[in-house]
Amino acid sequence: MSKLQRILNSREARKLFRDKIAVVALVLIAGYLLIALLLMCGVLPPKAYADVVGPSNSRGLFLSENAEKRYEIARTAMLGKVKRALQREDVEVALDEVHLGWLRVAEKPPEELKSIVEESLELQRQLKAFERLDDDPDAKALLTAFEQKTNQLVAPLSGADYFMHNAALLLGTDAQGRSILFRALYSIKVAIQIGVVTALVCVLIGALLGSAAGYFGGWVDYVVVWLYTTFSSIPNLVLLVIIAYAFTTSGSDAKDTLLPVYIAFCATFWIGTCRVVRGETLKLKQMEYVQAAKTAGFGSFRVLFRHILPNTSHLMLINFSLLLIGAIKSEVILSYLGLGVKGQPSWGLMIRDAGNNGDVMTGFFWQIGTATAFMFVLVLAFNILSDALQDAFDPKHL
Amino acid sequence: MWAFVFRRVIYNIPVFLAIVFMVMWILSYRDPVPAMMGKNASEEEIQSKRVELGLDKPLAERYVTRLKEIVLLDFSQELWTMPGLTVGELLRQAVPISLALTLPALFLTTVISVCIGLISAYARGRWLDRSLVFAAVLGMSISFLVYIIFGQYLGSYQLGRLVNRPIFAIYGYEPGIQNWAYYMLLPVMISVIVSMGYNTRFYRAVMVEETTQDYITTAWSKGATTSKIMFVHMLRNAMIPIITRVMITLPLLVTGSILLERYFGIPGMGEALLNAINNNDFPVIEIFSSIFAGLFICSIILTDVLYAVFDPRVRLQ
Repeated sequence: MSKLQRILNSREARKLFRDKIAVVALVLIAGYLLIALLLMCGVLPPKAYADVVGPSNSRGLFLSENAEKRYEIARTAMLGKVKRALQREDVEVALDEVHLGWLRVAEKPPEELKSIVEESLELQRQLKAFERLDDDPDAKALLTAFEQKTNQLVAPLSGADYFMHNAALLLGTDAQGRSILFRALYSIKVAIQIGVVTALVCVLIGALLGSAAGYFGGWVDYVVVWLYTTFSSIPNLVLLVIIAYAFTTSGSDAKDTLLPVYIAFCATFWIGTCRVVRGETLKLKQMEYVQAAKTAGFGSFRVLFRHILPNTSHLMLINFSLLLIGAIKSEVILSYLGLGVKGQPSWGLMIRDAGNNGDVMTGFFWQIGTATAFMFVLVLAFNILSDALQDAFDPKHL
Repeated sequence: MWAFVFRRVIYNIPVFLAIVFMVMWILSYRDPVPAMMGKNASEEEIQSKRVELGLDKPLAERYVTRLKEIVLLDFSQELWTMPGLTVGELLRQAVPISLALTLPALFLTTVISVCIGLISAYARGRWLDRSLVFAAVLGMSISFLVYIIFGQYLGSYQLGRLVNRPIFAIYGYEPGIQNWAYYMLLPVMISVIVSMGYNTRFYRAVMVEETTQDYITTAWSKGATTSKIMFVHMLRNAMIPIITRVMITLPLLVTGSILLERYFGIPGMGEALLNAINNNDFPVIEIFSSIFAGLFICSIILTDVLYAVFDPRVRLQ
């Protein structure tokens, strides 16, 4: 029987897999991990989450907009761009450059485009005469005509482009007209990256320091306890903010790097694991099998790494899961304060933008809703998994 | 007891020294002067500013100076970006505001979540308990920021529209007890709701642990009433974890209020710290974080003393 099989057949694992909700959570986490891996391989081109793909703050699920918004969309989508391109000398090249996400200009001779633009502008002028577009049936009819006219400027999409264009608009667009769905999807990669790196490093540091402190005692213990008391005596968020601030380069040489976030999280989050592993090591040290190993003449390192650390692995697993949640949630807070992720989308930035742009106050919930939902599912899954792990491995824990 | 307190204080001195050093050491990785002087400053100007701020001195020297100031409680340093305003004055303005926000929040959170924990433990395994536990996990999975944004939207904006007059402020702060409810009640409520998930789960676990104890079984078989068992027997014995939790939550509330203060424009400690970070105001950052840490250490020592007060079985040694 291989080692993996032995692990999967252990009492704890069977207990874990009997818990149906925990299995669902595991499947969800696997799904998120898969998406993150695919994104790391570059499945989504930067164009999808960084470029303007549509009008600003458009609603998701292709819900109909009110007349004012429809007018705004028709006016800003292609009309202005094509008009400007037609005024340039190198019309062909300029027209070729015009695009909005996956939308391009229809392949028509410039003269025909010019006449469409002029007819559209004429319709627009008539529309401007109405004060309110919503109530008047005449205005509505005119608006529909205007929309149809401007749509003639756009080349019909087919195949992959059609799919991507509609996917980009599926959950609406943010204030700058970028796709909310693709930004939220790409944020999975950022969140998983931050979470996994933080959790791995912190568990490693915490387990090594904690077990060394517990096992060797004496001055090693004193130093480690002093170290983690020091780190835990500053409120977590204050330390996070100060570290992220100190390592964020400002001004012209600012770089879009996650390094400050990693440093801040790794420096603050190892304490919990260290404390728990130290306590467990203190307990294990007294066990007969450790005494036996020592009596058999094994060196300290062998006892520590072969006999004690493997027996704290359940604590490491639980802490890994808890740290991941902590990192993902703290990223939102750091990003809100402007010290977190830069240069790429993240749920924190999306939530911050929704709050700062007044999206919420004007009743536009698509951005904050999507980011929250994506994050909620992942964090909930990890919360459930942590609980299930704790039930399975450490039932006496409070 | 005083001997115990004294020993704990001595033990925590190296911790405090390390914190002050750590903050200054972290900050030394950032050079604030070019950002303060703007783009057009010449090399000499930057250098002279650096000398003026004392940043040309080695870290050890600055550390000793700063430490001396903190130990002597001398907070008369002027802010780098706002000459004329001293750190002490900033503290005097900010501390009461932060306390007005965090203390009611801490009190309400503790009372409500202990009650829910009791109910949940009493109904253990039944649908009420399960739905409470599940609600707590759901609540924990949403970002703090989302609570704040939607709290402001629903509490200040929609509620104000509903009754046609502002109930809670959207943003801003005015001093005075008569203005407290208008500016502070909503942030306090948001803070309570956010910390409810964690606290309820914790207190439930504590209470469940207690229900399995022998003395509870004895009390039941003696025929003690439910309310007596819940509120006298169990609550009294669960006091130690509750105190620990409250004390551990104290610094957490400071951090929680950082976001609330920023979002609602309340000029408390958190807001002052964030402003200092945005303005590269090192004295404020260093002194504020030292004060946070000092308060934390005090609260830990106080926790141990409170143990002995609430549980006569605990001996301080």
